[in-house]
Amino acid sequence: MVNAVIKVLIFAVLGAVCPGLTADEPMNPERAKYHYQMFCQGCHTPDGAGANAIPPLKDFMGYFLRSQRGREFMVRVPGSALSTLDDAELAEVLNWSIDNFAGVSLPSAGYIPYTSQEVAVLRTQPLQEIENHRASVLAEIASLGAQGAES
Amino acid sequence: MMSFIDRLLEQRARSAAQQAPRRGMLKALGGVLVGASTLPLLPVARAAGPDVASRPQETGSDTDCDYWRYCAIDGFLCSCCGGSANSCPPGTEMSPVTWIGTCHNPADGRNYVISYNDCCGKPGCGACLCQRDEGDRPPYRPDKTNDINWCLGTSSAAYHCSAAVVVGVAFEE
Repeated sequence: MVNAVIKVLIFAVLGAVCPGLTADEPMNPERAKYHYQMFCQGCHTPDGAGANAIPPLKDFMGYFLRSQRGREFMVRVPGSALSTLDDAELAEVLNWSIDNFAGVSLPSAGYIPYTSQEVAVLRTQPLQEIENHRASVLAEIASLGAQGAES
Repeated sequence: MMSFIDRLLEQRARSAAQQAPRRGMLKALGGVLVGASTLPLLPVARAAGPDVASRPQETGSDTDCDYWRYCAIDGFLCSCCGGSANSCPPGTEMSPVTWIGTCHNPADGRNYVISYNDCCGKPGCGACLCQRDEGDRPPYRPDKTNDINWCLGTSSAAYHCSAAVVVGVAFEE
């Protein structure tokens, strides 16, 4: 009983200090995969490899997690920011895609999953110009020492 | 040491030969063979496996516009052009970039995620033109628009026909 009270108190304090820690329900991989198929796969292809001018997620999207601008980029691109997914669904499908496709590009220390609160703020600033912005984000990440992030 | 092993093996072999029926080996082998051949007949819960996505129960003809997978199609059926609902006719290239929607399968009452993969690299096939457009959206929702040419990931942008591939089961909230 005392333990339970302490746990509740700890979560209450954590919730007040870091709201992102409490709100989202756990990832549902079936739902996330379905949303990937419905809203991402058509262009990014089933394994995330992309095609022609469509940028790859596979073994690549993890590079963006190495800088704050990169992290924000993946939410501000039109496919994310303007999608009909709600904030929790968007955060979930981003995390699912990272888990399934980032591969060798994932930072060795792992990553902090997106939360619905984080994407809610970021998606209000969709990118108008994408290619140059992407190139400058990747140049910055490459300068941090991430080999393979240049393209 | 070696003679001890020899003796031990000999004793075991003799006692096995005395105790086991001569046809025991045949009997056991026969049992295994017959048993293994009946395994595929047993009722296994295949619906739970990954095969359900790639091979749902289906009714109808894939050369009809009414075929369940074509609920959002807009174009020539590859099934009428030397290919199938899953594959492109010879001499064409399947675009990996596709438009994706869901269709209701009347055979099992479930909704499936369908990928409309265009086959590209030859002029329009001209056979079995179908336009059903369920779930089709205007071009300001480009990923849900079937009016554009989806020969985007291929070496040629010439549209020939459309396939409709089942890529998964729709998630029901």
